[in-house]
Amino acid sequence: MPLFGRSAKSPTELISSVKTNVALLTDAKTSEKKSEKATEEIGKTLSQVKNSLYGVDGQEPQAEVVSQIASGLCEHLHNLIHCMPKLEFEAKKDLVQIFNNILRRQFGARSPTVDHISANPLILESLVLGYESPDFALNCGLILRECIRYEPLAKIILNANYFYKFFTYVEMSTFDVASDAFSSFKELLTKHKLVAADFLEKNYDSVFDKYKVLLNSDNYVTRRQSLKLLGELLLDRHNFTTMTRYISNPENLKLMMNMLKDKSRNIQFEAFHVFKVFVANPNKSKPILDILLKNKEKLVEFLTMFHTDRTEDEQFNDEKNYLIKQIKELQPPVPAASS
Amino acid sequence: MATATGSSGAAAASETPSAQPWPNIREAYEIKTVLGHGATATVHKAVCIPRDEECAIKRINLEKCNTTMEELAKEIQAMCLCKHVNVVQYFTSFVVKDEIWLVMRLLEAGSCLDLIKYMMKKGKGKGGLFEEAVIATILRETLQGLDYLHENGQLHRDIKAGNILLGSDGTVQLADFGVSSWIATGGDLSRDKVRTTFVGTPCWMAPEVMEQVTGYNFKADIWSFGILAIELATGAAPYAKFPAMKVLMLTLQNEPPNLDSCSENKDEYKKYSKEFRKMISKCLQKDPTKRPTASELLKSQFFKKARDKKYLIESLIQEGLKVRQAQQQNVKRVPGSSGRLHRTVDGAWEWSDEELDAESEEGKSASIGRSPRVRAQYKEDLENEMGTKTETESIKDEDVKTVDAPRSGETEQISDGGDQTPPLSLILRLRNASKELHDIRFEFKAGQDTPNGLSQELVKEGLVDGRDVIVVAANLEKVVQNRECKSMTFRLNSGCEVNEVPDDKALIGFAQLTVS
Repeated sequence: MPLFGRSAKSPTELISSVKTNVALLTDAKTSEKKSEKATEEIGKTLSQVKNSLYGVDGQEPQAEVVSQIASGLCEHLHNLIHCMPKLEFEAKKDLVQIFNNILRRQFGARSPTVDHISANPLILESLVLGYESPDFALNCGLILRECIRYEPLAKIILNANYFYKFFTYVEMSTFDVASDAFSSFKELLTKHKLVAADFLEKNYDSVFDKYKVLLNSDNYVTRRQSLKLLGELLLDRHNFTTMTRYISNPENLKLMMNMLKDKSRNIQFEAFHVFKVFVANPNKSKPILDILLKNKEKLVEFLTMFHTDRTEDEQFNDEKNYLIKQIKELQPPVPAASS
Repeated sequence: MATATGSSGAAAASETPSAQPWPNIREAYEIKTVLGHGATATVHKAVCIPRDEECAIKRINLEKCNTTMEELAKEIQAMCLCKHVNVVQYFTSFVVKDEIWLVMRLLEAGSCLDLIKYMMKKGKGKGGLFEEAVIATILRETLQGLDYLHENGQLHRDIKAGNILLGSDGTVQLADFGVSSWIATGGDLSRDKVRTTFVGTPCWMAPEVMEQVTGYNFKADIWSFGILAIELATGAAPYAKFPAMKVLMLTLQNEPPNLDSCSENKDEYKKYSKEFRKMISKCLQKDPTKRPTASELLKSQFFKKARDKKYLIESLIQEGLKVRQAQQQNVKRVPGSSGRLHRTVDGAWEWSDEELDAESEEGKSASIGRSPRVRAQYKEDLENEMGTKTETESIKDEDVKTVDAPRSGETEQISDGGDQTPPLSLILRLRNASKELHDIRFEFKAGQDTPNGLSQELVKEGLVDGRDVIVVAANLEKVVQNRECKSMTFRLNSGCEVNEVPDDKALIGFAQLTVS
């Protein structure tokens, strides 16, 4: 195809084109006209880069070209992210594809791009802060989640101060951005079990203080999603220490009991899956036991009538009946033998 | 003449640079008429107040929605990353109580399905609904949108005339991609369980999707596209008149359908060209690997017949706007919380809506002069209801076939007793397996017949479904015991097809027992 042959640039040309245009776009002194031209140019270049990395019309990409581009482009990744606001709609999407492709590159056991980002963690911060710009928040989110798949990168984000910004992002008004931020947030807390468990344990107070705000949010989606995630976190055996701490706090139990009565059936149901952890705990703390005992009758009555139409959900019914039995059999603690 | 639009339409989807971004708060929008609705979502026409611009808002009820929030979020995020002249433009989304509101471009002329129905009603279905150039234009535009989605790694999953929308400027856009599965299904959300059952007719579904072996891939959209082509020409998908299970069977067993598959007259669609037929048969190949990709299909000879937007406006869209206007006059919003359509006694439709405050001016004026509501609520699509329901409400006697229940000899012999109460003549009216109404006439002789025995006989003769043996007996019993009672209607256990709505007047999913 002559057309293709004429316009196809070599990997070296592509990288130098990226470099030139990125420089123009990130320089505040660039005139508007020049900047527009650079936007157009980099759009074309990124599209070609993407085609070289992924292949066109079902053709396999050439391994050597891929390798040249990947190693050449690695050091420009951060600047490319910075150019995001100036990229055209499709160019932003191409950049996501390119970034994620380069990120997955491996030499034997080594992942050079992951290593590069670990050494330049500001890239990660830029990506997280991307949630503040609706125009490219989702593009940043797609790259961010690809990064989170790598333990060292997830660890960097978890231990950075800006991690706490997620508690604001997941509550933002624009649903698509907020829900994307939530899925990144969830990945960070669930993907790498040991790293996440360690993080929750060490930062219990600051995390759960903020988490409580999510559970009390006015936003239905925030409430429902954060409650569901809480259930998953508490029921994961890696988070045993965190779970024990969470379910010994009477404030948390009260919150769940209120959520059992939420207007939304779905929220009631998710709350059940957290509430059950409190009741099934064989070592209930005294304040927890006190609350359960005080509300014994009411709880039994409430649970008996709770979601009775879920007849086909055997597990739920087994669990529910078990809880009712447990609560019925609750006994005030025997006053400790004087010792 | 053909317009040269081989290029990607992505760049053409421009924004008005002066306007402010689409606001993400409920107060910025004024909700207007209902454009359509399903079990868990409703689409309204709306005005964005700060921009002073019309738009469409799809309200998805998350309590009723049958998908996990993660899936839903993923689908909406995918929508955000689409910008193409032939794909409905998404603007923003936000949460209102337990609903997500998706703000999208309003396509004033409605869907191709609205148009088809309108044309059919006017009796224009004979010999093919639209001119070939009209079909070619709609299909080319649709295919360009589909090609864009596929290039982006996205599937549509629900290509059909109901999802092809028309703008007053001649724009043709694909709507409801990906997100359609949760519009069609209702019910409760089971924790971490995704339901795989489908609701509605699978007329557009590719064979490999029905078999659920390979799952859904790009080529399944191409099959649906072929069905869409037939739909635009003949006014219906090939097996549209059959119940869901039968459609599955026919699609899997028969040769792939074509334009003539369902016409009684062999020459009915002779006005359509060879190129059109060839394009359809390329799409409708049972082996998905043999079907072309969207971009390959765009190169078909057939699409040379496609014309421009102006042509579409003149030949089609002006009609479309009329249909839309007519539809909107039929639905009136009233305050209420059910968010459902209600049938009023005078046969009009009402939309009750929590968002419309009964105290507000709009609410008050809407409440004046309302007709009392009829008890029944229907879940079907707006257009279905408005198109057909009114006619089925009362059944005329000439529509009903009569069957005399054959009786075994022994019961007839002893009827000469004289001093016994006269036998009770009964008529059981219900629909048979092919959905036709039947009157089954039979007698009940006190002392000889028992409701159980009679009911069993009716089942043996194939006149009553086996699942209904008890319910028919129970109602027989009631009529026999209480001679005052001359007629009763009851629900059948056998129910109705998934694409039907139970209706005690039209006797869909119901039967009626009358003393004559």
